[in-house]
Amino acid sequence: MNPLLSFRDVSFGYGGLDVIQSASFELEPGSCTALIGPNGAGKTTILRLAAGTLRSQSGSVILNGEELRTLPLRKVARTVALVPQQLDVPFQFTVREVVEQGRTPYLGFLRGQMTEDRMAVDRALKLADVTGLQHRVFNELSGGERQRVKIALGLAQQPKLLLLDEPTQNLDIGRQVELIDLLHFLRAEGITIFASIHDLQLIESNFSSVLLLSPDTPLMNGTPDEVLKPSILEKAFNCPPRRHPLLLERIQRYEKRAG
Amino acid sequence: MSPLASAPVSPQGQTPESRLRDERSPKGRLGFVTLVALLVVALVTVILFSLATGAVRVSPGAILSALFGNHPLTATQRIILLQIRLPRVLTSAVVGAALAISGLMFQGLFRNPMADPYVIGSSGGAVLGACIGIFFFSQISLLGFSVTALLAFAGSVITMAIVYSLARSNGRTNVITLLLAGFAVSTMLGSSSYFFEAFDSSSGSNHLILLSWLHGGIGIPRWTQLSVSGALLLFAAVIAMPLMRRLNTLALGDEYAHQLGLRVEYTRVGIILTGSLLTAVAVSLGGLISFAGLIVPHVARLLLGPDHVRLLPVTALSGAIFLVVADTLARSMFAPTEIPVGILMAFLGGPFFLYLLRKTKRSYTL
Repeated sequence: MNPLLSFRDVSFGYGGLDVIQSASFELEPGSCTALIGPNGAGKTTILRLAAGTLRSQSGSVILNGEELRTLPLRKVARTVALVPQQLDVPFQFTVREVVEQGRTPYLGFLRGQMTEDRMAVDRALKLADVTGLQHRVFNELSGGERQRVKIALGLAQQPKLLLLDEPTQNLDIGRQVELIDLLHFLRAEGITIFASIHDLQLIESNFSSVLLLSPDTPLMNGTPDEVLKPSILEKAFNCPPRRHPLLLERIQRYEKRAG
Repeated sequence: MSPLASAPVSPQGQTPESRLRDERSPKGRLGFVTLVALLVVALVTVILFSLATGAVRVSPGAILSALFGNHPLTATQRIILLQIRLPRVLTSAVVGAALAISGLMFQGLFRNPMADPYVIGSSGGAVLGACIGIFFFSQISLLGFSVTALLAFAGSVITMAIVYSLARSNGRTNVITLLLAGFAVSTMLGSSSYFFEAFDSSSGSNHLILLSWLHGGIGIPRWTQLSVSGALLLFAAVIAMPLMRRLNTLALGDEYAHQLGLRVEYTRVGIILTGSLLTAVAVSLGGLISFAGLIVPHVARLLLGPDHVRLLPVTALSGAIFLVVADTLARSMFAPTEIPVGILMAFLGGPFFLYLLRKTKRSYTL
């Protein structure tokens, strides 16, 4: 099967400072990939490059077999949605008005919203469980509520590839479980998921592959079992052995397995 | 709720329970159609009363019945109404609508309720352009437009481009930089307009025009000037229509709008050009009138919510009403002395601007 998204030797830097150095990886359609790495390793940059809001300085980003930079913006926006970490909205826009913006790539020059757009918005609101909030003012919501509204905004784009930048931040454990359920559901609907995430335990049981980004070593791509090894994580995150409960637990498990 | 466990999504996407909660729309927002209807009625009423106001008394009732062919007015009354009051009242309406729409567009573009053609220097640019036209090229016209009007438009566009590029960094607009740049540019332009007086060869008549401009006074224009301006206002409003939805998308920020497939640069240029055209229309008729473009969109947003598509007709109508009322007050409060409406607006708008500055201090990290 052709990959939905592939990076080929992609490099990107801000003002002469290289953040991404010749990164190459592929996302299979229908996969659910976690992007992990220490702070500042360039996780958000990778997601922006994948969404086309940043252009790679060398190498190429290929979406559905076509070079992303050559595709019309609207076509990219119907295929890829990026749920950012932060969304600031001025004025008193309601949740529904915010989520309706997700239909932008489907609207014509003069054509406003049609029934199908309203249905897509309703469905996005429903999936992210914010239907009850739709007439509330976005700026007056709690962090967790905003997080779900951002996901609804991404879903209103009806993307094939959903990029999420730390989607579990601001969510309590109950809401985290719901988010994971939602990701499973979207995956069953054929949507490919690519999310930067810090919670390694959530990844282990819910993601099909893991992409590890760390400043000094090349990009690593594999199944959770292959990537989430204590030795690899310790090195990537520069974390002393046995100091982090998760690492400790994994080390113990490996030792047990090794006998 | 887990989407896996939930019932299939109905076309409306609402369960009975959620439909109950959906009825709660934000407090205090009015229905769009109701509001537009109310504003149309209010505009007509205000225009009638403004026509009736002045040294020669003609009651609004008499004007109405004359309109329907009963009880014709006297010849004097006809001349006063048709040659003096009507052009002036319609001019205030055009200026008010133009300022309000350009204020709405600039506020949306800068994602900030404190932008307004006067505050950010767009009006000042238009005045400077118009001055250059009056003092140097007053005899020339190009394709039927006087060079003065074209230069007012050019002045407005150039000023906007300068202030905008000064205030932007990393895809964000810094509010302090925006207001300071607007202030500096306005002051500079205002003074440069006086500078042209030194080269004035028309023995003082241009000086009077300049003064009335800088004070923001609405005069009695010729009908041709008024109808050209009215047509330009309509033209700009029509161009503004498709831009309104894009302003909603731009509210999410440039990067997000780009991600949603919006061509941010083109949209921005379209907004700046249309907003500057409206500013030039307002300035060429009424000079520097401060804060009207600030107050009107703000109040409309309080009544209706921030959706620009619906705000466009509402701000246009409210702006017209607002300036007709303000100009009627300006010419009748101290009758027979008239004060320029720009000065009245500065008295009203200044405190409002300061109030807004204080109120939005936190949310816009000034």
